[in-house]
Amino acid sequence: MFLHYIDLGWRSLRRTPVVSLLMLLAIAIGIGVTMTSLSVYHMMSVNPMPHKNDQLFAVQLRTMDQGADWWTSDNLPFQLTYQDAMNLRKGSVPFRQTAMLKTGFGVKPANPDIPPFIETARAADSDFFAMYEVPFAYGAAWDKAVDLQGEAVAVIGDELNQKLFGGGNNVGKDIVLDSVSYRIVGILKAWKLEPQIYDLNNGAWGQNEQLFIPFSLLPIQELKSWGNNNGWKYEEENTYQDKLNSEVVWLQYKVELKDKQAQQDFRDYMAGYIKEQQKLGRFKRDDAEGDIKNISQWLDYRQIVSADNKILVGLSFMFLFVCLANILSLLLAKFLKRAPEIGVRRALGASKTQVFAQHLVEVGMLGLAGGALGLLIAQLGLYLLRSGFSRYEAVAQMDLTMWLAAPTISILACLLAGCYPAWKVCRTTPALYLKTQ
Amino acid sequence: MLSMTNISKVYRSEMVQTNALRDFNFQVNEGEFIAVTGPSGSGKTTFLNIAGMLETYTGGTYQLDGIDVGRLSDNGRAELRNQKIGFIFQGFNLIPDLNLYENVEVPLRYRGIKAAERKRRIERCLEQVGLGARAKHVPAQLSGGQQQRVAIARALAGEPRFLLADEPTGNLDSLMARQVMELLENINKDGATIIMVTHDPELARRAQRNIQVVDGQICDFKLYQGGLEKQRAGAEV
Repeated sequence: MFLHYIDLGWRSLRRTPVVSLLMLLAIAIGIGVTMTSLSVYHMMSVNPMPHKNDQLFAVQLRTMDQGADWWTSDNLPFQLTYQDAMNLRKGSVPFRQTAMLKTGFGVKPANPDIPPFIETARAADSDFFAMYEVPFAYGAAWDKAVDLQGEAVAVIGDELNQKLFGGGNNVGKDIVLDSVSYRIVGILKAWKLEPQIYDLNNGAWGQNEQLFIPFSLLPIQELKSWGNNNGWKYEEENTYQDKLNSEVVWLQYKVELKDKQAQQDFRDYMAGYIKEQQKLGRFKRDDAEGDIKNISQWLDYRQIVSADNKILVGLSFMFLFVCLANILSLLLAKFLKRAPEIGVRRALGASKTQVFAQHLVEVGMLGLAGGALGLLIAQLGLYLLRSGFSRYEAVAQMDLTMWLAAPTISILACLLAGCYPAWKVCRTTPALYLKTQ
Repeated sequence: MLSMTNISKVYRSEMVQTNALRDFNFQVNEGEFIAVTGPSGSGKTTFLNIAGMLETYTGGTYQLDGIDVGRLSDNGRAELRNQKIGFIFQGFNLIPDLNLYENVEVPLRYRGIKAAERKRRIERCLEQVGLGARAKHVPAQLSGGQQQRVAIARALAGEPRFLLADEPTGNLDSLMARQVMELLENINKDGATIIMVTHDPELARRAQRNIQVVDGQICDFKLYQGGLEKQRAGAEV
């Protein structure tokens, strides 16, 4: 019967081409606009590693003295001081852990035909690659031993490998960064992790770093911070060591905790650390504490999706609602005009349920076609966003979820709009029309 | 087989109350061909609509094959209508977008009959009304008489026990009207019970029983000797 209803729906849509086209355009434009804003919202809020959501945690410590507050909702800084990062990473509670710094270098290629260039880099511990499932094409991360005593080694990305060497296995070759030669121990495959959950301080979107060096090199090479540095009190910083000893928060520290017990153990470990530091004269406040946030909590906490985006999504759904109201009135007019035919069908044995279903299938077909056309309009909208605003380049995309969501939303929306007209027409009194045909 | 006892039908509007049927008592036996006559507005079509469960009644009892129609839900009535009743309308009421085959197929679809069986029945019924070769034509390509024959084929396809015809020849010229009437008589001979509303006294006389409806009530009842009595006597012999 369902196929028969599809046949009837198709005939009905063809019978009134102008009205059908109007309804199709209304739903397509509504879906197009909605899916454009919803796709951006979705891509912004998407968790890139949902399978590790409850395993990867950002670590925070309330280190300020009494009276000094942070601007965050829970009065916790986003980053850690060097001394806290170093102290915490000495612990063995986390399954994996990494302290990190966004930095950068002047790269001097061995090939004289390639001019020197500036490259953003990330200083991290060797666990970083396993924690964030960074794929290697050649070699591997540096040894754990390097995390304890710095060694000039590097892992480079596929793009940088192409740029410097034209691709291939170049493990063992050297790369000169700010006049220091680093031995390449690993080369990554093409890799993308967006939003960049490991460091959201300088934007969640954009290319992941192509250059990684051991975090343990930080005091040795006196690595400069290319990211955010925040302090809560005045401190003299005349030397690099002054910065290392300061209360400036400028480092990210992430841990991988396998289960709830490990999470609790790490919280206890942080509480113990705070007490220990308080004894040493730091963390002079009553509510000194630490916290860990999983990936989705962290994305939410860092407000990766701005309030403007949420409003935009709301407005686009309101627009869709207006489109639906128009469709509803067109459907009502169309269906009621067909009441005599329905009267005949009812007289010939069609139940109300069958008449209702027949019309809902027709509306569903309209929704499917509108969804397909809406997808094209959404693609155009996303293309315009990408070409007009570079910051939307990474997020003005549609993933599989959104490709499937568009026709689903469209069909559901049309069914919603079609329910009343279909209900109205299925209540047709057959006798009323049989004489008047 | 069809029994109406004290059936009443009242149409109410804000200002007016119209008694379309009053204390309507009517029995139909299997295999009868009954003509219902009466002046315009007397309640003939209302009676036929109630008999076909296209309208509900206000009071009384209506039993069809022992089933109390008043106790059925709307969907239950639709199912019973689909299984037991075929309709022929004055205005043919064919669906213009569908060809003849598809028009005849409509009631069979709602009954859930399989495609092969549908095909068999449709072809048989269209042949029976002499339109087997025009199955792919749409109603607009046919004359009024041919359209009415399609409507009859549609009514027959469901193999109904009752055929309800509301002025089936009302829109036809006399020649076509005679052809349609002959077709109905043949169908009746094949066993279907027919109740036909008509204004045409000549057609009414050809039925086995003739009832007259005036002001929503049966005012006269005649059993034509050449009709059911003879048929029964013949059966007894």
